[in-house]
Amino acid sequence: MKTIDVAIIGAGFAGIGAAIRLRQKGIHDFTLFERGTKIGGTWRDNTYPGAACDIPSRLYSYSFARNPDWSHTYSGSNEILGYIESMAADYGLHERIRFGHTVAGIEFDESAGHWTIDIEGRDPVRARSVVLASGPLANASFPAIRGIEDYEGHKIHSARWDHDYDFTGKKVAVVGTGASAVQIIPELVKQAASVKVFQRTPGWVLPRVNRRTSPLLKQLYRQVPASESLARQAWFYGHESVALGVVWNTPLTRVVEMVGKAQLRRQVKDPWLRRQLTPDFRAGCKRLLMTDDYYPALQQDNCKLITWPIARLSEKGIRTAEGVEHQADCIVFATGFDVSKAGTPIPIVGRDGRVLAQEWSKGAYAYKSVAVSGYPNLFFTFGPNSGPGHNSALVYMEAQLDYLSGAIKTILDRDLRLLDVRREKQDRYNAAIQRRLTATTWNSGCHSWYLTEDGFNATMYPGFATQYVNQLRTLKLDDYEVVESVPARPKIAAVS
Amino acid sequence: MAMDFDDMLRKIKDRQWALADIEWDAPGAEMISPELHAKLKPFMADLMWIENVGARGFAAMAKKAPTETLREIYRYFHAEEQKHANAELALMRRWGMLDGDEIPQPNINVKLVIDFLDQYADSMSLSFLGTVIPMLEVALDGALVKFIMDEIEDPVCQEVFKRINADESRHLAVDFAVMDVLGHAEIRKLLIELVGGWVKPTFMIGVLSYVPLLNKMRDNIVAMGVDEEKLYAALKRYGNVGERSEFARRLPMYQIVKMHGGWVINRHHPYHLVADALVKITARVPKVLLRKDPTWSKEITYEPAA
Repeated sequence: MKTIDVAIIGAGFAGIGAAIRLRQKGIHDFTLFERGTKIGGTWRDNTYPGAACDIPSRLYSYSFARNPDWSHTYSGSNEILGYIESMAADYGLHERIRFGHTVAGIEFDESAGHWTIDIEGRDPVRARSVVLASGPLANASFPAIRGIEDYEGHKIHSARWDHDYDFTGKKVAVVGTGASAVQIIPELVKQAASVKVFQRTPGWVLPRVNRRTSPLLKQLYRQVPASESLARQAWFYGHESVALGVVWNTPLTRVVEMVGKAQLRRQVKDPWLRRQLTPDFRAGCKRLLMTDDYYPALQQDNCKLITWPIARLSEKGIRTAEGVEHQADCIVFATGFDVSKAGTPIPIVGRDGRVLAQEWSKGAYAYKSVAVSGYPNLFFTFGPNSGPGHNSALVYMEAQLDYLSGAIKTILDRDLRLLDVRREKQDRYNAAIQRRLTATTWNSGCHSWYLTEDGFNATMYPGFATQYVNQLRTLKLDDYEVVESVPARPKIAAVS
Repeated sequence: MAMDFDDMLRKIKDRQWALADIEWDAPGAEMISPELHAKLKPFMADLMWIENVGARGFAAMAKKAPTETLREIYRYFHAEEQKHANAELALMRRWGMLDGDEIPQPNINVKLVIDFLDQYADSMSLSFLGTVIPMLEVALDGALVKFIMDEIEDPVCQEVFKRINADESRHLAVDFAVMDVLGHAEIRKLLIELVGGWVKPTFMIGVLSYVPLLNKMRDNIVAMGVDEEKLYAALKRYGNVGERSEFARRLPMYQIVKMHGGWVINRHHPYHLVADALVKITARVPKVLLRKDPTWSKEITYEPAA
């Protein structure tokens, strides 16, 4: 069995970016394993009407893969998916992707210094390093509602949209009012006969001004790349400043809340509806929602917000605790993803047979979110505590890709058998992270998908994006156990 | 022993029922005599609206509760009060008391209380709401529900109120458990909250709405030909149950509400001169002075499916 230099699991934004970064560093022996039949990950899966990114595209893209042609400030999912595909094409990555390869688990062979990758229904593959780029938003999650199997109408998850279903004239129920829901609802209201929106907790909604990029500006970005970099920097520092109010509870948090409340007052006149839509947690504690269309859509004649607790699903619809069965032809679950805050997306067996899922059962942790002690030559994208609350995920991702591609280059250049982060360094890092998290809005008392059931925050990075990027700028080999490959024994000359 | 609120929340979720679980067209509606029909109609309309008083109170408490479990419990209680109102409306429809789709209006005193709660409940402290709402629940909801169960033989009505009663007993259990928890606070804090609550000018509006409500409901019960002692027994229950908790007794607001209950059940107390006068005065409040009904009050429905 041949051993490849690098296996990349997942061909979404992270996997494609990792491949490009490796190639740019002169590493060419890598393979991407993708369970789907197309690239794009989250952006391939999330094709619901209205799907868009709430971070400006200039910033929600890689600085090493420029795109002067973004059509709007905030792009839709199609355009983002097109960007990922064009990156793959530009770097000739398609031939490196094994589609329909579902990785079932990985196991480290310490004596040989390689990972064995089990693939469903296929021969295993060996790789010296593995990049786990499976992404936190890969697995759609249906909520644990009683009677969910009893419902006989059509069920759609926002991340697995059914484009064949015609909503025209249909009675639709939407469960969830998070980031996907506020994009889907205005689109459904345009089409369906009625839309009932089932809300558990309202989120903070901030305005989003989405402008078309003028041809002149695109031309400027094409011809003067520095102007595009400048625009990106401006967006970056603009978002960084927001951290002061969103990451930590400060007087600026009140300013963010004032903006949210002003938008609510301006767009919703009925006091009771306004009360129902007013969050009872600090801005930033849960993901901020960016939209101008959501509140007006809720007030259309064919739309209704329902805040009664859901008692159960019945054959025909949703029964809420006020005793009414809200019948629907179709229920859209905009209920997010099964984010790995504990356990691992695939079984991972490290040194001495240790199992990462067991170690992470109370909540995941890592060293700088990228590496885990006991699991050498393995690198995570969007690992524990790398989530941004205020800035572009791609900025964080790019820092991870730079770091891991540098580490992999070191492994290959120095022919290392193991590059394993030291436990004490990892523990010290995490103690500091958890200490810093106590002062953040995410740990201020609300229940969000950032936290485990026990309230452990394994998701977010408690600081500025700049701090996150800086800590990943250099690979400190002192923080790692570095074991070189056993030099091959010189061949003994045959005695004639 | 302190209540396990997580366990209570599980119980509440397990025992949810819906209007669709009741066979509204089942026989028995004919058991309401024309004479009873005439008396019952305004009584049911008031009862239905009193459920909304409790609903609005719980909605405010859901915002104040100190833990997520308790917040969730109050969210359910808010919805359950609405469910009771919906079920009572559905009974009125069953008995042919509704004129088309029109929702009957409550009496002026209920309206004033709803209006007050809608404006001010969200700014009241949990210790205020947590002591007053239980009194409204035992006195009005509890007594009136008991009256219906004693007087109306229609089996569908019996089934509905059996379910409502079961819900209400959980509401009261939580109400008193929360009072016990609130009573653990330092006396200094409790007094500050008490003074802080009473000095608000809006609070007087609340008192002026609450006082005639109890007397008005007593008048209604008497008009139905029922012994007012039933209402008084319910009012006494507030004190009886509250006294069982050493900590609820420490709540100054509990003592005030209990004392007021004592005045209400003593027909010779001079308090009634004021309360009965207020019933007469409020009955003359011109409609133009009342605020528009809040949109939540229009959520009421007799339809099991929407």
